[in-house]
Amino acid sequence: MEGERPIPIGTTAVIERTGETMEEMYLNMGPQHPSTHGVLRLLLKLDGEYITDCIPYIGYLHRCHEKIGENRNYTQVIPYTDRLDYLASMSMNFGYVLTVERLMGVKVPERAEYIRVIMAELQRIASHLIWLATFGLDLGNFTIFIYCFREREMILDLFEAASGQRLNYSFYRIGGVAMDFPDDWVANCKAFLDWFKQRLPEYDALMGDNVLFQKRAQGVGICDPKVAVDYALSGPMIRSCGIQWDLRRHDPYSIYDRFEFEIPAFDTCDVWARYMVRRREMAESARIVEQALAQLPSGEVMAKVPKNIKPPAGQIYCRTESPRGELGFYIISDGSTKPYRYKVRSPAYVNLSALPEMLKGCLVADVVAVLGSVDIVLGEIDR
Amino acid sequence: MRPEELLDQLKQKFGEAITEGEVKGVEVRLTVKPESSWEVCRFLRDVGFEYLNCLSGADWMSHLEVVYDLSSLQHPNKVHLRVPLNRENPVIRTVTNIWRAANWHERECYDLFGVRFDGHPDHRRILLPEDWVGYPLRKDYADERLVPYTDYGMEEKLPKPEAAAGAPKAASPPKAPAPPRPTES
Repeated sequence: MEGERPIPIGTTAVIERTGETMEEMYLNMGPQHPSTHGVLRLLLKLDGEYITDCIPYIGYLHRCHEKIGENRNYTQVIPYTDRLDYLASMSMNFGYVLTVERLMGVKVPERAEYIRVIMAELQRIASHLIWLATFGLDLGNFTIFIYCFREREMILDLFEAASGQRLNYSFYRIGGVAMDFPDDWVANCKAFLDWFKQRLPEYDALMGDNVLFQKRAQGVGICDPKVAVDYALSGPMIRSCGIQWDLRRHDPYSIYDRFEFEIPAFDTCDVWARYMVRRREMAESARIVEQALAQLPSGEVMAKVPKNIKPPAGQIYCRTESPRGELGFYIISDGSTKPYRYKVRSPAYVNLSALPEMLKGCLVADVVAVLGSVDIVLGEIDR
Repeated sequence: MRPEELLDQLKQKFGEAITEGEVKGVEVRLTVKPESSWEVCRFLRDVGFEYLNCLSGADWMSHLEVVYDLSSLQHPNKVHLRVPLNRENPVIRTVTNIWRAANWHERECYDLFGVRFDGHPDHRRILLPEDWVGYPLRKDYADERLVPYTDYGMEEKLPKPEAAAGAPKAASPPKAPAPPRPTES
C-alpha cells in the first residue's frame, strides 16, 4: 500500500500484468451509502470483479470529542460518552465512569454494581440485535430486520422505564447509577428474558439455517488469527478468529467474576463465524442478566462522592468489553476538575483498520457482507 | 515473567535509555528516550507483548509525549510506555512494522498532536480534513468556536458573550457564538 497516494479519484490507470493487460479500476463506496452504516467512504481498487486494495476514509462525523472532554469537568463528560457509540450508550458510560472511579479509588455499592452489569448486558443484546437486523438487511433478508427491532424495542422500553431515556441514557454516575429500578422493573425484565430466549431459535431459522445466507457468509472475509492479533482486533472480531479473548473474563472489572458464562469462539475466521459469535453472545448475555437479577441485593445505588470530582494526579488506561470489543479510556488527571488528557480507544476504529486485510481478494458483491460483519458505528470511529 | 523481572531485564539491556521505571500491580510503567523507543518496543513485542491496546499522545506544554499501552493475550502483565518528545520538532520512529495496529493510531496522533512518525507507510491526517491547519489537541491550539469551560458558580465571572465574540468570521452565520450555558448543579 506504500507510495501510491494520493490516488486520483474517478480516473482509471492501466497496470501491466504478466501475460495480459488488465484495466485497474477505482470504485468509490460512500460516504452516502446505505450499507456503510453512517458516513464512511471506502475507495476500492478493483481488478475486474476482485478487490485488490481498499482505503477507508473516515472523519466525516468527527466532532472533537476528546477536545470537548478536556474542556468539561468529569461529570459533564458522561453525556458526551453516550454519543460515542449511540447503539451501546450504556457500555460507553460504563467504561468512562469505571476509568474515573479507578483513578479516584471509589468503591461502588453492591446494588449499583449489579444494576450496571444488568444494564450493560441488556445493552449488549440490544446492540447485537441492531447488528443482526441491519446485517440481514444488507444481505437482503428483510424479515430478520423486523424481528430484531421488535425485541430491541422491548429492551429500549426497559431502559426508558429505568432511566427515562430511550437512546442516550447517561444512566451511570461516577460512584454508582443515577437512580434505582422502578418497582415492577425486575419482573418486567424477567418476562422479557423468557420471551427473548424463545426468540433466539427464530433468528437461527431466519438467518443461520438459511442456505442463501450460509453461502454468502461462509468463506468470505477471512481474517487470519495472527493478523487479528497484529491489528489488535477485539470483541467478536477476535473471537471469530478462534481466540477466546474476553475482557470480562481475562481482565475482570466490576463484578463479572461472579457470573457463569461462556465465551463463544469460532475458528472459521469468516463472516459466518462473526455471525455465530454474536448470535451466541446474545444467549450468554441473557444468562448473565438472569444470574444478576437472581442475586440482586438491596441497598444504596450511589456511593458518597464529592460534588466536585477531583481525581488525584496520575494517569490510567482502563479497558472494558463493549459490544464491539475493547473500549479503552485513557485519562491523565492533573488534580483539577477536568481531565488534562482524555482519549478514547474505540473498538470499531481499530477493527475497521483491518478491513483492507479482510477485503483483499473478495468479490465486489461481498464488500457489504464483510463490512457489515465488522459491526462499525461511525459515532465512535470518528469521535 | 513477573513485572519486576521484566523491568530488570529492560534496565540491563537498555541501561541509560530508560529514564524512569516502576512497577504498579501487573503494570510496568516506563519512560524511554525517543532514540531507543523502537528497540524497546521491538524487545517488548518479542518477550510476549503482542497486543498494542492503545497509542496516544499528550501535550505537557514543555514537551509532547507518545504513550503506548501494551498487553498480551497470554499473560496478565501490561506495559505503559511513555516517550517524551521535543515540542518544536516531534519525530519518532514508527512502530507500524512491529504492530500493524499502530497504523491508524499513529495517524491520529499526527492529526491531533502533530507528532511525525518516521517511516510510517501512510502518513496522512485521518480524522480532520487534509487542509486543516494546526493540531487541535495541543494545549495552545486556539479557536474562537470553543466554548470555554465554566466552573460551578463561576458563570458570572466570564466575559459577556458580546464582548468576547470579537469580529465574526466571514464564513460563519452572522449571529454571535452561543453564550456558555450555565452548568446544572
